Amino acid sequence: MFLTRSEYDRGVSTFSPEGRLFQVEYSLEAIKLGSTAVGIKTKDGVILGVEKRANSKLMESGSINKIEEIEKHIGCAFSGLTADARMMIDHARVEATNHAFNYDEPTSVETLTQSVCDLALRFGESGEGQERVMSRPFGVALLIAGYDERLGPQLYHTEPTGTFYMYDAKAIGSGSEGAQAELQQKYYSNMTMAEAEILLLKVLKQVMEEKLEAKNVQLAKVTKEGFQLYTTEELEKLVADLPADVDQDELAELS
Amino acid sequence: MDTVIDQLPKSVDAAAALPACVNGLPNFEFPSIDTPSAFLRAFTDDASNPDVPIKPQHGTTTLAFKFQGGIIVAVDSRASAGSWIASQKVKKVLEINPFMLGTMAGGAADCQFWERWLGSQCRLYELRNKKRISVSAASKILANVTYHYKGSGLSMGTMVCGYSEKNNTLEPEIYYVDSDGSRVAGQLFSVGSGQTFAYGVLDQGYDYNLSVEDALTLGKRAIIAATHRDAYSGNSCNLYHLKPTGWVYHGNYDAAAEIWRLKEAEGSFNDIRTK
Amino acid sequence: MSRFNPYGDSSGGSSLAIAGADFAILAGDTRHSTGFSIDSRDQSQIADLGDGLFLTSNGFSADAKQLVDDLRTQIKWYHHNNNDHKLSISAAARTTMMLLYGKRFFPYYVNPIMIGMADDGTGAVYSFDPLGSYDREPSRAAGHASELLMPFLDNQVTFANQLDPQTGEPRKRLDLDLQTAVDLVKDAFTGAAERQVQVGDTLEIVILTKDGVDRQYYDLRRD
Repeated sequence: MFLTRSEYDRGVSTFSPEGRLFQVEYSLEAIKLGSTAVGIKTKDGVILGVEKRANSKLMESGSINKIEEIEKHIGCAFSGLTADARMMIDHARVEATNHAFNYDEPTSVETLTQSVCDLALRFGESGEGQERVMSRPFGVALLIAGYDERLGPQLYHTEPTGTFYMYDAKAIGSGSEGAQAELQQKYYSNMTMAEAEILLLKVLKQVMEEKLEAKNVQLAKVTKEGFQLYTTEELEKLVADLPADVDQDELAELS
Repeated sequence: MDTVIDQLPKSVDAAAALPACVNGLPNFEFPSIDTPSAFLRAFTDDASNPDVPIKPQHGTTTLAFKFQGGIIVAVDSRASAGSWIASQKVKKVLEINPFMLGTMAGGAADCQFWERWLGSQCRLYELRNKKRISVSAASKILANVTYHYKGSGLSMGTMVCGYSEKNNTLEPEIYYVDSDGSRVAGQLFSVGSGQTFAYGVLDQGYDYNLSVEDALTLGKRAIIAATHRDAYSGNSCNLYHLKPTGWVYHGNYDAAAEIWRLKEAEGSFNDIRTK
Repeated sequence: MSRFNPYGDSSGGSSLAIAGADFAILAGDTRHSTGFSIDSRDQSQIADLGDGLFLTSNGFSADAKQLVDDLRTQIKWYHHNNNDHKLSISAAARTTMMLLYGKRFFPYYVNPIMIGMADDGTGAVYSFDPLGSYDREPSRAAGHASELLMPFLDNQVTFANQLDPQTGEPRKRLDLDLQTAVDLVKDAFTGAAERQVQVGDTLEIVILTKDGVDRQYYDLRRD
């Protein structure tokens, strides 16, 4: 992929003669180093799940946080550079509370996602009237899950390039290729939240190197009632009840 | 993290996006003259000159006090623009969030705007820190703003009321914040043109050990007394009770009807002839 | 010392709004005057903002015009940023507050009234003070005749301080229908034109219902 690597891969605002922005492309690679995050949309809400990869046995797994609340009706999972994600999430929270202040209504999920992506290209030199925020592209991808009056449950995937797309189910991070293939196969549109929980854990289980346990995953859902992180007890129960090997037929039966 | 002052107005490109606000604060436009505050006073201060063209709505009696059962907040509902009663049912208690109330005295727009703004700052604090903001912190954010704009013409006297977590228990707090930049903690305040009349009733009947019912009655009674003597206060009383679980609205009471009811029930207001 | 005075006294006559269970009315006369001199007898003061929102702002007409321009720009930006979604009246009211308060230290000399249909299908009237303080109300009058119109609305729209002759209980306005409201508006303006020099010529009424917008015109005194 990077055979044409040259001096053009150093400047964040310099195109290569082939028309590529290498630093932006490399930022996509940073995400592939991150832990896997998965989002699944159902008609009742969206579920987000991430793998919590502890680098050391001495690390407190509770201090790893890869799912955050943006506003009451929007949550977000991320994969890539955590510090970059923090910055984007803070920006998203400011945008969400500003929208509520300016319009006396909760922001729509799409509007919020767009405003996060606006931040993604604020690197390099500053534009007219705009403050430069970063010296390089973000090294993080987000799965933004939300529920609003206009479109109901929604799941968006944002990239450091500043583009975003809406998904039924999406995986990002190191295990994303396998996970996405699995989602492609097992996802169906009239899934219930309970079925989505099982599918999500099942997908994570497949791509995780460690054994899936309550302490090395984090789950959250966004429904009509709002954003909610799963408690340790809920996670323990879900993991314990997870069918040893659910195949496609069984999942279909569940519906 | 930015401090409040760091977030104060910056210039913004008009076409950049929604231009009214930058970081939740509007991009205030000042007239390009030497003395903008004198200009503002000349055209909007109807206290010094009743003929000013632009008459912001103001005038009020508000009160709040702590007692054994929490905090009582009571206010009147009249807004006057000069001697004109601009509105008879103003909501002078601003619900900053389910656990915090702010009262409105002085300029209606100043209070509405900055207390809503405070509400969004409190929400942001909650999201960032995963816990509720304390009343002392919230009132400090507001006081920082009023101090920043000191002298430029803001007019507000507000009580920020609520429960804060202190040493793992929830404790009631009331902070008085005004447009001069003052911020004072206390257990009983009354603010507005009718404050002296309300204090008269409060000081006579206040006791920390009042029952919830008696405390609500006292709050309402003090507002009714103020509506009776202060021409700029009146119309009705809105009553709130703050508990550790959040605030509870206790209704709207018509001042005209309450006077007759109190006169009969208490044998008070004997200056009014019986119907 | 010459004093900086950016405000004029040219303005429309008066405006008035009434909200009903399934309609909202905004009315204004078409007389425009500067001081005691009549500039125009056919100057509409009701601005169509789009998205089913209508606005009048009495005070100083140059500031009123600027406020309308600001609002239209805001609505356009809202559409761009929100997938062309309609700006609800509650959101429009908050936006108006932001625009007015953004000029807190160099205020617009305006007293705006906005009408629209709320999300729940009820008619909505929002009124503002020049600095942006606002509230949703059953009725509101502004402009030169506001002090004549408002007491009439208190009496006829909200039945303030009236007792029901049968029960002796306070009278409540429960079922204000559209025709009654339109008749009230006509009576209010006929009366105002009788006693206020800046009000007269033609009465313009915008009526909002779930079916859309209806505009009606009635003659007022032209002297």
